[in-house]
Amino acid sequence: MTFPYKGYAGYYLDVDLTKGKVHKKELEKEWARLYLGGSGVAAKILWDRTGSDTNPLGPDNVLVVGTGPLTGVMFSPSGRMMFATKSPLTGVWAESHVGGFLGAEIKYAGFDFVVFNGRSEKPVYLSLRDGNAELLDASHLWGKETNVTTEMIREEHKDPTLKTGVIGPAGENGVLYSSIIVDFYRAAGRAGLGTVLGSKNVKGIAASGAQGIEAYDMEAYLRANEKEMEKLNDPLWTESLASLRKYGTTDLVAIINEIGRLPTKNHWTGFFEHADDIGPEIIAEKYRIAQEACHGCAVGCKYIIRVKDGKYSTGPIGGPEYETIMAFGSNCMNNDIESVFHLGKRCDLLGLDTISCGKSIGFAMELYEKGIISSKDADGLELTWGNAEAQVILVEKIARREGFGNILADGVRKAAEKIGGDAWRYAVHVKGLEASGQDPRAHQSIGLTYATNVRGADHLRSISCVEELGYPEIAASRFGEEKAEAILDIMSPQYKGELIWDMEDLYAIVDSAVICKYGTMWPPMFYFDSFVNVIPPLTGMTEWGDMKFVRKAGERISHLRRAYNHRLGITRKDETLPPRLLEEPMPTGPSKGGLPDLDVMLDEYYDYRGCDRETGYPKEAKLKELGLEFVVEDLKSRGMVR
Amino acid sequence: MKSFLAIDLHKCTGCRNCELACSAEHTNSFNPRRSRIQILKDEVQNLVVPMVCLQCETPLCEEACPTGAISYNEKGILVVESKTCIGCENCVTACVYGGIEIDTHTLKAIKCDLCGGDPACVKACDYGAISLVTADQNGLKTRRQGIDLAYQTINMKTGEVSE
Repeated sequence: MTFPYKGYAGYYLDVDLTKGKVHKKELEKEWARLYLGGSGVAAKILWDRTGSDTNPLGPDNVLVVGTGPLTGVMFSPSGRMMFATKSPLTGVWAESHVGGFLGAEIKYAGFDFVVFNGRSEKPVYLSLRDGNAELLDASHLWGKETNVTTEMIREEHKDPTLKTGVIGPAGENGVLYSSIIVDFYRAAGRAGLGTVLGSKNVKGIAASGAQGIEAYDMEAYLRANEKEMEKLNDPLWTESLASLRKYGTTDLVAIINEIGRLPTKNHWTGFFEHADDIGPEIIAEKYRIAQEACHGCAVGCKYIIRVKDGKYSTGPIGGPEYETIMAFGSNCMNNDIESVFHLGKRCDLLGLDTISCGKSIGFAMELYEKGIISSKDADGLELTWGNAEAQVILVEKIARREGFGNILADGVRKAAEKIGGDAWRYAVHVKGLEASGQDPRAHQSIGLTYATNVRGADHLRSISCVEELGYPEIAASRFGEEKAEAILDIMSPQYKGELIWDMEDLYAIVDSAVICKYGTMWPPMFYFDSFVNVIPPLTGMTEWGDMKFVRKAGERISHLRRAYNHRLGITRKDETLPPRLLEEPMPTGPSKGGLPDLDVMLDEYYDYRGCDRETGYPKEAKLKELGLEFVVEDLKSRGMVR
Repeated sequence: MKSFLAIDLHKCTGCRNCELACSAEHTNSFNPRRSRIQILKDEVQNLVVPMVCLQCETPLCEEACPTGAISYNEKGILVVESKTCIGCENCVTACVYGGIEIDTHTLKAIKCDLCGGDPACVKACDYGAISLVTADQNGLKTRRQGIDLAYQTINMKTGEVSE
C-alpha cells in the first residue's frame, strides 16, 4: 500500500451501480493532503465527476459517502460522517452530515469513502466488512421503513452491532428532500441525499469491521487529543455544555425565542408565544428518559424520549432536535409537543428531512390562510395554523407523493411555481433549500450565512454563535479587541463579512475532519489551532502543523465548493434572501423592526473571500494562491474568473 | 486489595469512548472490536449492556483453560498469559458473562486486565460512568446498582438479589 498517511483507512470504493461492480481503490494522497477528508474530498470528487449536464436523479449523478481522519479516533466530538451530491431539490451543491456510529464503522470496515455512480437495475444495498465490499439484493427491503430495514439487515448478517445508513419510502418515491437515516434516529437530512440514493435503487449502506485505525504517533496523538479535551473543562463553556447535556438542542427553543429569532408562522415572525409548551423544560420533565451520545463524544447532546399514552404514544425513540421542533412546532403554530414528537418520528421512519417537510407544510398553511389554496386543493384538509392532525396526514401523503402531498414533495420553490399566483412570496428558501430555524431579521450575520451557503438557506456552513449566544472572549481573541464590540452586536452588519468568511473556512475544516458543530459552533471551543495540534501526530501530514497551511486548506475547500456552484450558474444574484426575510421588517417580538443589511455584509464577505463584488466570481490570483489551477482553467473558459 | 470495574448505566450514554481508549492502550490502534470492554446496544429498547470481565472469585474461564494460561497475577488481577494461550476458545464458551473474547488479529484470548490497576477506560469516560472499585460487599453493591437500569428495561426485578 502506498497511501502514506495514518488516521485513514487508506481505501475508497468506486461503486458502479449500472454494472453492479465495486472497485476498491487506494485513497489518493493529494486528497488527504489538500482537502483532508469529508466535505473537502467530496468537493474534489464531485467537481471532477459532475457538472451542469448532470441530471441529479440520473445515473450520471454521483453520491459520495465520506468520513474524515478524525472519524472514529477518540477526538470528541467526532462521531460524524457526511454525504454529498448534486442536489435534486436545489440543483446545486449538496452535503449533509450525520452523527451516530456508522462513520467510524465504515472506517473500521476498511474504507474512508464510497463513491456511488450509475443506477442499479434492481434494489441493492452496499455491505462493507473487514476490507471487503459487496452489493447485496435489497428487493425485500424496498418499501420498508428505516427502522425495520436496519433490523432486517442486522438479522440477515446475524450481527446486532452492524451500523447502517438507509433510506425510507420517501427516498424510494422520489420526494425531493428525502433523508438518509443512520442508526435508527439520526438523519443526514438536508437537500435530498436520500432521494439520490433512491434514484439509484440503493436502499443504503451497512458496515461492520475490525480493521482498526492506526495513528502516525499514537503517544503524541493521545497527548494532543487529551490537551484538546481539557478545553471541555474550561469554565467558559460550563454553562453551554451543561445545557447541551441536559436538554440537547431543545434548549435552543427557549434561548432563540428570547432573542426573537424562532421561525414562527412560516417565518412570518421570530417569536412564538407558546414556545414554553414545546420547550426544553417540559420535554426534560415529562418525556426524556436517557441521555445519548454519538461515537466517542463527550458532549452527549442526544436524548431519548418515551410517550406513555395518548394517540401519539411511543416506545423509546431519539428525541427531536431544535430544528424539528421549530419546523413542525412554532413554524406551523403547533404547540402540541406530543404531536411534534410523532411528526419527527414519522419523518425518521419514512426518511424525510424534518426541516424541509415542516417548512413545506407551514408554507401550505400560509397559502391556505391567504386564500391562495383552499381545502379542495389540499385533498379536503383544513390547513389552519396549528392543525397537528392535518400535519400528520400531510407527512404521510408527502412520503407517498399522494394527492396534495405530491406538490409539497417537491419543496416550496417548485410547489410555488406549480401553484402559481402570489405563492412565491411565501416560499422561504435560498437556492431552493427551505430555510432552517434562524432569521436574519433578528441576527444579521445569519442573513449572510443563508445567502452564501453553498447548499442554500441553512445555518450549518457558517453560522456564528459568537454574537448569537454571546462569547465576548472569543470575539476578542479571534477578531481583535477593537472589532469585538461591533461583532457582538447581533444587529450590526459591521465586520460580519469577515466573521462569516472566517466561520465558513473553519467549518470547511470541521466538515472535512469530520467533527461536529457542537464543540466548534456551540460552544466555540475548538478553532483552527485544534487541527494544527491533532492532525499531524494522527496522520503524519506535517504541513498540517502550520496554521497558515490549515487556514489555506479551509479557503481551498470553500472556494472549490463555490466554484462548483458557479459552474451550475450561481452568481451574486442567487446569493440573496427570500423577500420575507429581506424586505418585511420583523413584525413582533424582541427583534421587532429588524431587517438584515445584506448588501453591506456581502460586499465585505466577497472582499475577504477574494471574489468579485459584482458577480461573486473568484479572483484568479486567489484561486492560484490556493493551488486551484484546475478551477481557473475550467471557469476561465466560461468567463467566470475575475 | 482486589478490585474490579463498576459501570453506572445511569451515567453511561453509550458513546463507547471506553472501547476506543481500551483498544488504543492494548492494540496501539483505534479498534473497538479488539477492546476488552464492549458496550452492546439495542436502540429499539433503549438498552445498553456493558460487557467486561467481572474478575470472578472462582473464574469459569480459568477452570476451562486447558493450558493454564488464565490466572490471577501478583496484583490480584485475572489475566491471560498470551504465550501460553492456544486460542481454543474454551474460556469464551465457559464465561457466561461475555468477559473474555478471542482477538480478531492475534487469535488468542483477550480480557480486561484493569490496565495493571489504572484502567484507560475509567479515564476516558467523560461521563464518569466507569469506576474501579474494591472487591468487597460495597464494591459488589456499586456494581449491581450500576446496572439496575438494564434490568428494569427488560422488566426484571432487581435489588433483592444477593451477591
